[in-house]
Parts: sequence; structure tokens; C-alpha cells
Amino acid sequence: MKRLLPLLSLLVASLAQAQGASDAKAAPEKLERAVFATNWKAQAAHGGFYQALADGTYRRFGLDVEIRQGGPQVNNRPLLPAGRIDFLMTGNLLHSFDNVKQGVPVVAVAAIFQKDPQALLAHPGQGYENFAKLKDAPVALIAKDGQFTWWQWLTVRHGFRDEALRPYNYNLGPFLASKAAIQQGYSVAEPIYVKKQGGFDPVVHLLADHGFSTYSTLIETRRDTAEKRPQYVQRFVDASIIGWYRYLYGERKAANALMLKENPEMTEEELEASLALLRSQGIVESGEALERGIGAMNSARIADFHDNMVRAGLYKAGEVDLAKVADTRFVNRRVGLDLRKQLGGR
Amino acid sequence: MSANAHGEATPRWLRWALPAAVFIGTLLAWELLVRARDIPHYILPAPSLICSTLAANFGSLAQAWWVTIKITFGALLLAAAGGVLLAGVFSLSRTFELALVPYAVVLQVTPIVAIAPLILIYVDSTTAALLICAWIVAFFPILSNTVIGLRAADPNLRDLFRLYRATPWQRLRWLLLPSALPYFVAGLKISGGLALIGAVVAEFAAGAAGRETGLASRILEASFRTDMPRMYAALVLVAATGVAIYLLFNLLSWALLGRWHATERSD
Amino acid sequence: MSSAIRLNGVSRRFARGVQALDGVDLEIGAGDFVALLGPSGCGKTTVLRLLAGLDAADAGTVVVGYGNKPPVLSYVFQDATLMPWASVFDNVWLPLRITGVSPAAARERIARVLQAVGLADFVQALPHELSGGMRMRVSIARALVTQPDVLLLDEPFAALDEITRQRLNGDLLDLWGRNRFTCVFVTHSVFEAVFLAQRVAVMSARPGRIVADLAIDAPARRTAAWRIEPRYLELCRAASAALESGFAERAP
Repeated sequence: MKRLLPLLSLLVASLAQAQGASDAKAAPEKLERAVFATNWKAQAAHGGFYQALADGTYRRFGLDVEIRQGGPQVNNRPLLPAGRIDFLMTGNLLHSFDNVKQGVPVVAVAAIFQKDPQALLAHPGQGYENFAKLKDAPVALIAKDGQFTWWQWLTVRHGFRDEALRPYNYNLGPFLASKAAIQQGYSVAEPIYVKKQGGFDPVVHLLADHGFSTYSTLIETRRDTAEKRPQYVQRFVDASIIGWYRYLYGERKAANALMLKENPEMTEEELEASLALLRSQGIVESGEALERGIGAMNSARIADFHDNMVRAGLYKAGEVDLAKVADTRFVNRRVGLDLRKQLGGR
Repeated sequence: MSANAHGEATPRWLRWALPAAVFIGTLLAWELLVRARDIPHYILPAPSLICSTLAANFGSLAQAWWVTIKITFGALLLAAAGGVLLAGVFSLSRTFELALVPYAVVLQVTPIVAIAPLILIYVDSTTAALLICAWIVAFFPILSNTVIGLRAADPNLRDLFRLYRATPWQRLRWLLLPSALPYFVAGLKISGGLALIGAVVAEFAAGAAGRETGLASRILEASFRTDMPRMYAALVLVAATGVAIYLLFNLLSWALLGRWHATERSD
Repeated sequence: MSSAIRLNGVSRRFARGVQALDGVDLEIGAGDFVALLGPSGCGKTTVLRLLAGLDAADAGTVVVGYGNKPPVLSYVFQDATLMPWASVFDNVWLPLRITGVSPAAARERIARVLQAVGLADFVQALPHELSGGMRMRVSIARALVTQPDVLLLDEPFAALDEITRQRLNGDLLDLWGRNRFTCVFVTHSVFEAVFLAQRVAVMSARPGRIVADLAIDAPARRTAAWRIEPRYLELCRAASAALESGFAERAP
């Protein structure tokens, strides 16, 4: 995959160029390069970013963006402080807390998801319709990332047991084979795959509905980038937000095509089904995002979530300097709300 | 004793002092580099920081260390037992060998990174799965070396045993096993390091979970929590284990073969 | 005296069509010292292996022994063939150990036989600590520890230097003189054959056959002085001539 990247980025760049050329507005002469690494292979949950790339939004904002996929064995996170990438997508605030705790100078600048789609899936008819029953499951398939972050919260706050923990390698097999097993997933993705491979609709419990109140799909950048090149950061954030509105309400064929190219295992119907779930579950647009635009963040909510995690024993009080976690000046500016109305959003 | 160009033997103390000196020198250079260039700890931690992290977290790291060691040596033991047994069978029956060798080779060349998640699907206990993965990696060198070793008995000695009408059991104990021993030990030396690699890689690929987790999980955890010094500390323990295994088997080789085998005598 | 060893019309053919022996006839009396002299590749070793029972003839008969008692055989290879991981004691003990003799019971016999080959002080030494000549002595000691009726030696001294070789020749004669086993000594050295044996059986080139049988009329107890006797040189010349003719006869 990594070897294909230069080729793919060339492809992506030429695609973006094709889109941008058809745009009415003139592209600025010199584009600034931005490398954005995601936390998974291309999927609908990344749709807005690929949209901004595919329809030339990034270019119009003067940015030459390369999106680098994550994946099951890929950990893009160290690349940001190391200077290899400019922006990073992270799945929840725990990553930000860890960074600040370890003195890693990165900061969150936007929160695309107001709700974390992290969920636990179970077989129907096993009593797991009741969330409280999940902790009694004999087998809980949790991947490495979750195991070292929110699983701990589950054990403390909701009584889950380490004995049930089994490594999850992003293979649905063990879950499908065992009716008593539960596994992690994104509420907007895995249920679709389970339906496809297993032929049933799984029971889905959003962690967000049970106290895991973090933002998700955050955009992180280096502290010195945010301080020394605020315009650059602003443009990336704004363009991404616009991309998200366009993906949700506009013409997204090119974005889907791009994601299918990057992730050949994805299908168009899965993308559309996932997008429908994103909408119906209010992942991107709910709460403050409805008034302040996609990406909205506020410190009070971050602090509240942090206190939850302290109570769950993930951090000690005072370990994390909350002021350093997020820089909210790049969002909450109602960017894209007109576009939304224009595109007929709700 | 090994000799230099002038025929003077390398003094014993130098054989330890030299590598130790290079090691300390490297550490010092590393420390100076980090301090001089002001390299942040999340990019490259200094040895002093790694040491203090190791000391501070020794409790939990030691637990993981013990798990990794258990799996490594458990797998090695099973690999040695299985390898010797199967080598014995192969040496008795060419047909059996021809039939099974392709599978042994397939086991050897298939990358453990790919197999580990599969094994985890089929085997319920994570510890058993990791043992199997480490075993697969360590098994083949012992098998192939021991097979060669069992065939390596001096043909004249074989004739001698035949002449004196030794029973097959006597031949096995007094001729075949001692002849095979140097080869077996050579295989063991190779497999020692491989078993450790297998244990660590399997845990990386499959991901252990819960209580019985080894150093690989600690490394992963540290990497996910952006805790570079702790990651390095765990890596130091892995490296130390590798060195210890190397020294252990060198000692074993010397103990078993030192008196008589060419590989141990440098004269 | 009945013959201890009798070969009648013995032929041996190996895989790939190599005819090693073709009609070998040889008779050796009990207690005789016979040298088997021949060029390289003539099948001398094959004859020895047939006598030892390590190989089987394709045609003809091989009889080793007299009376109804199976003979005790010993074999000395061209290289000492010692177990490198075992001490001199353990190496010499091997034939006895196989028959179930304990180390305590064997100790005296081993000590005696090592004394006879002059290695009494090296009981605990390992083979790699010994010189080539000493290792060969251990091999001989091992061969003698079972008090064999028949001792088969396959060019045992060929890999050693001339001085050691001559010394060991003398030592072997001494041992034979004292123990009087039947001795079949394979060599390609005319000088050695004539020095050691009472009879020299000359073999032709491959396929091997006995082409001459020379009686060596010299006293059984020989010293180094025998080597410079005119009769010795005469016999050497005769043996050489027989070798040559055997070679020429069968040369393709």
C-alpha cells in the first residue's frame, strides 16, 4: 500500500485538478501542501474530506492536499509530532489527552463528529438488547486501539471484565460464529458489513449513549503549525467543513469514486448506507454543530469528558492540562451553514 | 584461545571489555545527541529517560516480560521436543520424511504475521495461540538440523557398530545421538532467537488481550498512548531477552560440546 | 591346520555396473599374517568388508572361522574412527560395552591393552588431544580389547608419516607375535607388505583377482634390520613385478 501511495497521490491530484478546472472560481496561483492522515481505510465516515479533495474545494482554498489512509495495521499518529504529516484524524479525545499528558505538542482544531460512533455490537435475541447485559458476555472482541483506551472506561464505569477480552483483528468471523460474543464497531459501518456477511441486523449500542461523551473524527495539527500558520490551518479546517456539507447534501459521486479507488474493498452501496446512518444517528450534525457549523467544539464539554475519564481511572486529576487539548478558534464560526441551506439541507 | 596476527591470544578480559565499552560508548553518544540537538522525548528519548521509565514502570513491565519469557521458552521446549522426535522418525523412515517434509517447509516459509490472526480465530486461548505461533517459527531449524545430524554419523563408526552387533537402541544412544548433538545445538541456537521473535511478532499481529499480556502488548499500548519512553523501555527488555538467550545457548553449546567439538574449540 | 579364512570364486558387483571383484580365491590359515597388496581401487577394501560381514558377495563363498564357534572379528579402518566425544577409555571400552561389560569389569582389560600399545598414560584423553599416530594406536587397542581371532586392517598407517608408520609396523608385529590372531593387512605399499607379512597376496587392478601369492621367508620376529636385508629387497622387487603384471593384465 505504501508503495502505491505516490502513484495514488498523483492520481488524486490529477482528479482534483480535473474537478477544480470545471469550477467557476479561479484557483490561486500557488498551492500550499497539506498531508492529512486518516485513522482507517477510506469510508463514508471520511466522506467530507474526500469530497473536498475530489470537487476541488481544497484547491480553491489554496491547498494541495494529500489524504493518507490509515488501516488495520497502520498507526499514523506518531507521524504528526514527527513532522511527516500536517494534519491527523483521530478517533476520540483520549488520544488528545494522552498527547498532552506525554508532552507531545499537538492540538485538536476541529471536531467533525459531535458523537463518537464507537459502538458495541451483539447478536439479536441473546438478551443484549439491554446494554447492561453486555458486560456479562463471555467474549468481547476488542481491537488494540480500543483495548488501551475506552475499554478501560467500560471496565470501570460499566463493569466489563478483562477476562472476556479477546483480540479483534477486524475479522467478523469470530463474532458471526459465536452468538454469545460481542464486538466493537463503528455504528455507521460494521452493522452494514454484519448484515452483508452474516445476514442479520446486529444489536448496536453507541458508547456515546452511555456516557462516552467524546468528540470524534477530530482534526489535529502540531502546536507550532497552529501558532505560526493560523491561516493555513484555518483554510484546511474551513475547506474540510465545506467538504462535509457538500458530501452530506451535495453531489458526491466524485468523492465516492475517489474513496472506492483508495479502498477497493468498499462498495458504493456500503458508502451510501453508511452515509444514511451518519445522518440518522446525528453523528456529524447534532447539538452545537447545528448552530455553529460542522466541526464545533467547546472547552466545557471537553472538560466534562475529561472528568468522566478521571473518574474512570484513565487519568489522574491534573495529569492533563486541559488548556492544551484543543484550540477552538478555528471552528464555531458558522462556516458552511449558508451552503447547507443552499444545497437544501433539512 | 583465539589469536591475532602475531599469534598472541586475545586475553579473556578483553573479550568482555571490548563489547561492553562499545555499548557504553554508544549510549553516551546517544545521550549527548539527544541533549545537544534538543530532540523531544516523543521522537527519540534519551537513554537516561528510558532508564528512569524502566525503573518507574518495572512492576508492570516485569510482569509482561515474564509472560513473554514463558511463551518463548515454552515454545522453544515444545519445538525442541517436536523437532527431535520428528527428526528421529524421519531418520528411521525415508518415506515418512518425503511425505511430511513439504508441510514442514510450508510452515517455515509462511510469514507468522499472516498466520497469527488466523490461529487466533481457531484457537480459543490467546496464550495457546501465541505458543503455537512461536512454536511454528522455532520448530523448523531444530528439525532440519537434527535430521542432518542424525545422518551425520561417521559411516565407518556405523560399520563398527554393525560389526560389533550393536542393537539399534545402543546405536542410537552411543552413536547417533552424540553425532547429532552438535547439529541439534546449532539448531537450538538459531531457534532460541526465533522463538522470541515469534512470541513478540505473534502478539503484535494477533494482539493479546487482558491479563496475560507480554512485552509486545506493552509496546503497542505505549505506542497507542504516545508514550515513547515506555515503548523504548519495553523494547530494551525485548533486546535484553534476545541477548540473554544468545548467551544462554552459547553457554549450553560450550557445556555440551566444549570439550570435543570443533565449533567450540578455536585451536 | 585348518584354514581360518577361505574365499572361493568371490565376485562383487556394485551399482552403476562397477565390478569390484571377479573370482577371488584366497586361503588363510589360523594365526597367519597375510598382506593383501594391490593398486588403488582394486577391491582390497571390498575383500576386507566381505570378511568382516559388512558386505555380501554376489557369487562365490566366504568362510571365516573354524570349528563351530563364531570367530571374534576386529576391524581397523584407514582413519582411526574414534568417537570424538568420548575419551580413550570410552572408545576402547565400546566393543565390550556393547556386549554388556561394565566399566569396572572392563577397566583391567582396557588398561592392559592400552599398555600394549603404549598409551597407558592417556586413558582419559580425548581424540582431538592426540596425534594421528596415537589415535591409530587407540584404534588398534580397541580392536584388540575383544581378544579377536581375526584382525582385519585396512591400510591403517597410510595417513601417517614414514617414521610413525615404521614404528607402528614394529608394534603391530609385536602384538601379533604375542597374541597370534589371524591378521589380514591391506596395503598398497610393497615395502610395508613385505616387512610385515608371512605371505603377500597380490591383487590385480579392477575387477580384482589374486594374481600372485608370495611367501615371505623371513623369521616371524622381525626388526628394523630386516628392511636392509638383501632378501627383503629381492622380495620387494618380486612383489612389485607381480603388482605391475597384475596391473597390466587388467588395465583396460
